Amino acid sequence: MSKIAEIKNLVETGKSKKVAAAVQEALDAGDKAQDILDAMIASMGVVGDKFSSGEIFVPEMLIAAKAMSKGVEVLKPIMAGDGSSSLGTCVMGTVAGDLHDIGKNLVIMMLESSGFDMVDLGVDVPAEKFVAAIKENENVVLVACSGLLTTTMPALKEAVQTIKSAYPKMKVIVGGAPVTQEYADEIGADGYAPDAGSSAGKAKEIIGA
Amino acid sequence: MLTKKENLLETLHGGQPDRYVNSFEPFELFLDPIIMGIGGFAYTMKPGDTEVNGWGVTVCYPMGAPGPFPVHDQEHVILKDVTKWKEVIKAPKIVYSDEEWADTKAQIEKVDRNDKLVTTFIAPGIFEKLHYFMSMQDMLMNFYEEPEAVHELIDFLADWELEYCKELIKHMKPDAIFHHDDWGSQLSTFISPEMFEEFILPAYKKVYGYCKEQGCIIVHHSDSFAATLVPAMIEMGIDIWQGAMSTNNIPELIKQYYGKITFMGGIDNGIVDRHDWTREKIAKEVERVCRENGTAYFIPGLTMGGPGSTYEGVYEAVTEEIDRMSQIMFAK
Repeated sequence: MSKIAEIKNLVETGKSKKVAAAVQEALDAGDKAQDILDAMIASMGVVGDKFSSGEIFVPEMLIAAKAMSKGVEVLKPIMAGDGSSSLGTCVMGTVAGDLHDIGKNLVIMMLESSGFDMVDLGVDVPAEKFVAAIKENENVVLVACSGLLTTTMPALKEAVQTIKSAYPKMKVIVGGAPVTQEYADEIGADGYAPDAGSSAGKAKEIIGA
Repeated sequence: MLTKKENLLETLHGGQPDRYVNSFEPFELFLDPIIMGIGGFAYTMKPGDTEVNGWGVTVCYPMGAPGPFPVHDQEHVILKDVTKWKEVIKAPKIVYSDEEWADTKAQIEKVDRNDKLVTTFIAPGIFEKLHYFMSMQDMLMNFYEEPEAVHELIDFLADWELEYCKELIKHMKPDAIFHHDDWGSQLSTFISPEMFEEFILPAYKKVYGYCKEQGCIIVHHSDSFAATLVPAMIEMGIDIWQGAMSTNNIPELIKQYYGKITFMGGIDNGIVDRHDWTREKIAKEVERVCRENGTAYFIPGLTMGGPGSTYEGVYEAVTEEIDRMSQIMFAK
């Protein structure tokens, strides 16, 4: 098995204690940092697909994301200043009145793993805070809003409309248990992902990556 | 006409119910001194409140939300390293004096046990307690990274809950235990069935096994997808899975596990309990659910974990529509 194939396997199976060494060995053997990163991104794509299809569950996704972050830590000093791999910044939060964080955190991991620079606004985020974050952060190309309660669906609508009002061209993706494609269309969002596994693919599609 | 209790028992045992068991109607729920002492749940808090419960977990109930949440920022999370749980986790009191039980017992005495079941309420359950102590993310990672510590902590919680149930049974002699523990999202379980069998099933076999030996009906709430956990639910002794969401394909589950467990729910709060609810939408959904699921081993109701709804009037409208469907589905 090639070193890169081994890294892919380690990420997919969440072997966080072994990934860093494997990445270092691949670099030492002459593999390019970008190729290693691409392989890990592809691995997380596989993980996302398996999660969406019900083959794996939240813990498996979490340990895979942790494994990838261990590998990225080794690559970071080498790739510092090389912005070519970034898809841009994505601001994400759970909307006002809602304290659910696991879905948001999974989406953040998946988007980060696919090349977005993520800004996590946390939970119970008022609409204005999304707008402020777009202003405060560089190269924001996407805003992701999560809402897990039927009671916070109006807050999701308010968040999307407030963002669109301040930044009409900003792309916004929404998700969460009560959200549907129909509702996403109704409130003016650019995209909807039914689960964390499919969120990265949808996010990339929305920004045209 | 059967009493509410008789009608429930006929439904559970595959007999001849004369109508749908309508939501929570046969269950007279009681909040006992133990759960009231622990606090930090929907019936001890109101929207806007923040409380520290008997386990030391800070719980807040946001305005407009259907229930409270544990607070998991760095300042409030109580278990940062699961291997140190013995140093951190201190179980709340479960032994109360006869005097402290007197009010509950007096209320119980008023119940006509031929008509209704005296029902205890336990929440949060063992899995939920784990993610009250630490964030959901950390807890789920610990199933892989610190399995021994997670096993130990679950054993500790199961033993504590067993003693808790002994006290409930001693003082209340309940006919049913209504026990909350959410095991999934609307699309999936949080952990795999294999992991569930390894970690969670043994704990519940201990707790529910004891309660069943004492003659209690076990009603377990998980308003989620959990179809893949039904074999484990049966093994641990659950009589009624309350909160079964429509995403589970309930008609198929009834067929597959016919006679072994009863499914309660099917009417997802996410679909009908919304700001834009109307009587027509509810009537349509209740009719769809009743027709799809039939009358055997099925109790129609909202998936929420208690008699009520987030939006005023929804629960009442749902129960009225279930009564309407009883006339149709049980017509002779």
